[in-house]
Amino acid sequence: MDSISYYLQTILNGILAGCIYALFAMGLTLIYGVLNFVNFAHGELIMWGAYFLFLFMAEPFGLPLYVAIIPALALTGCLGLAMDYSVFRPIRRANRLTLLIAAMGLSVLLRNAAQFFWGAEVRTYGFEVIAGTQFLGLYLTTTQFAIIAVTLICVVAVYLLFFKSRLGKSMRALSDNLDLARISGIDTKRSILAAWVISAVLAGIGGILLALDTNLHPEMGIANLIKAFAATLIGGVGNLWGALLGGLLIGLAENIGVLFISPGYKDGIAFVIMVLILLARPYVILGERSD
Amino acid sequence: MDLLLHLCVIIAIYAIFALSLNVEVGYTGLFNFGHVAFFAVGAYTSALLTLSGVPFVWSLPAALTMAGLCGFLLSIPALKLQGDYFGIATLGFGEILRMIFNNEVWLTKGPMGLPGIPRPEFFGFVFDTLPRYLALSAGFALLTFAILAFVVLSPFGRALKAVRDDETAAEILGKNAYRFKIKSFVIGSVFAGLAGVLWAHYATFIGPGDFTLTETILVLLIVVMGGKGTFPGPVVGAVALIFFQESVRFLRLPPEWTRLLGPLQQMIFGLLLVVLMVFRPEGIIREKGGER
Repeated sequence: MDSISYYLQTILNGILAGCIYALFAMGLTLIYGVLNFVNFAHGELIMWGAYFLFLFMAEPFGLPLYVAIIPALALTGCLGLAMDYSVFRPIRRANRLTLLIAAMGLSVLLRNAAQFFWGAEVRTYGFEVIAGTQFLGLYLTTTQFAIIAVTLICVVAVYLLFFKSRLGKSMRALSDNLDLARISGIDTKRSILAAWVISAVLAGIGGILLALDTNLHPEMGIANLIKAFAATLIGGVGNLWGALLGGLLIGLAENIGVLFISPGYKDGIAFVIMVLILLARPYVILGERSD
Repeated sequence: MDLLLHLCVIIAIYAIFALSLNVEVGYTGLFNFGHVAFFAVGAYTSALLTLSGVPFVWSLPAALTMAGLCGFLLSIPALKLQGDYFGIATLGFGEILRMIFNNEVWLTKGPMGLPGIPRPEFFGFVFDTLPRYLALSAGFALLTFAILAFVVLSPFGRALKAVRDDETAAEILGKNAYRFKIKSFVIGSVFAGLAGVLWAHYATFIGPGDFTLTETILVLLIVVMGGKGTFPGPVVGAVALIFFQESVRFLRLPPEWTRLLGPLQQMIFGLLLVVLMVFRPEGIIREKGGER
């Protein structure tokens, strides 16, 4: 492979990783926008999404991939709702430390529950590795093609939902000002539930795509959480399109970065970018929302 | 008997670790989710120095300085962040540090870890037996307790609480909140480093796997369960949780159970955190005059 297509391949891989980070970051930033707290258990929605699919594809269900995705995503959405109902709703008005520690505890609980049921070993969905098809000198597997297609569909769906529907309008109102939204007669409960479902389903889709492209592991959620955080920071917290852009940037930076530094530090790149952003423009995190 | 002494050593080390986190989380309201990083810096610094022949008398202050320095350098950018994002930055720092321990093989031997760390020696007196080590770690725990109690009761400690409860009000009264937070973070880091040093020389082996998020969660749970922002809280929490954790290890269970036991124990810890936050966020011991 000559060097130009090598670099192009690196950029393509960066975009692929970035698509997945963007899906994670959009869900995270959505909950931050509506409820004004960082959901540390978001990584566990990613991981459980992937494991739910594994559950339905394995015995005794043995469903094919395209069928199993539906109950898997439905269960991930329910998990998001259950998190809200059992933990976050009772402490909605508590101080931030309480919320944060509860989210942290929930993350530990869910992560180890997955390890309890499926073990700590790395798993795959059991598809054979297929050589990618060559396209303009670049290699792209079916899964990777699906990553791009699904991300595009999700982005369009999120756009339609948020900017073209009543529900989206009420969620945006909520994210601007909870109390004002409430006295304007918006059904805040329904909007919050909707936000949880969307956030969880986006996380689940991202987790499934990631697991299809690589593998399943109980730590896969928490490992990607920091990248999702970094992506939301780049885009400005609570900003959906910023999260999309931030995810792509993180994916590109990681894949281009390993050309220069040891691959052992690949997962640290997102963190370094995050620190640099914070040093350069600390105001991005102060809740400037431009959606 | 040895088991009991071993338990007490671990409790003393974790009490120091938890007391140091309490300064940050309890008294200053900083959400540090990467506290294990400073524990690890202390442990690795002292281990590497003593393994290359430096006496413990010098490696200990060096390790504490190193932990404090790391805390200082991290806090400069990170403390510009509001609550949640400070938590993320510290979480990320903990992960980065573990990456360094894993990758810089020339220094840390990577995932192989550092075996054969010598027992501490003070002017010819070696703390090599279990009772002696207990005396050492209990002594340091008492010292930590006394120093941190002094710090927290001083006007400096009251300023920390003021910054925690209402940053704007504290600023108006002329307290530079940013600086107070940095100081609190450095103090917490130094004492976490002390706990790390004691851990390294007790276990005599350390590796990157010892310093994961799991340790941070455990120490956070100790502080939160015991009662954050109180003196005895972290100690009570350490006694209760370490007793639970270490005694489970000594149950004679069939080997196929032990594979499940680790995750199950972590699940209990996670559940405890959630249940505490929902039903009793102030912990076992409630801070006097603290917010409910």
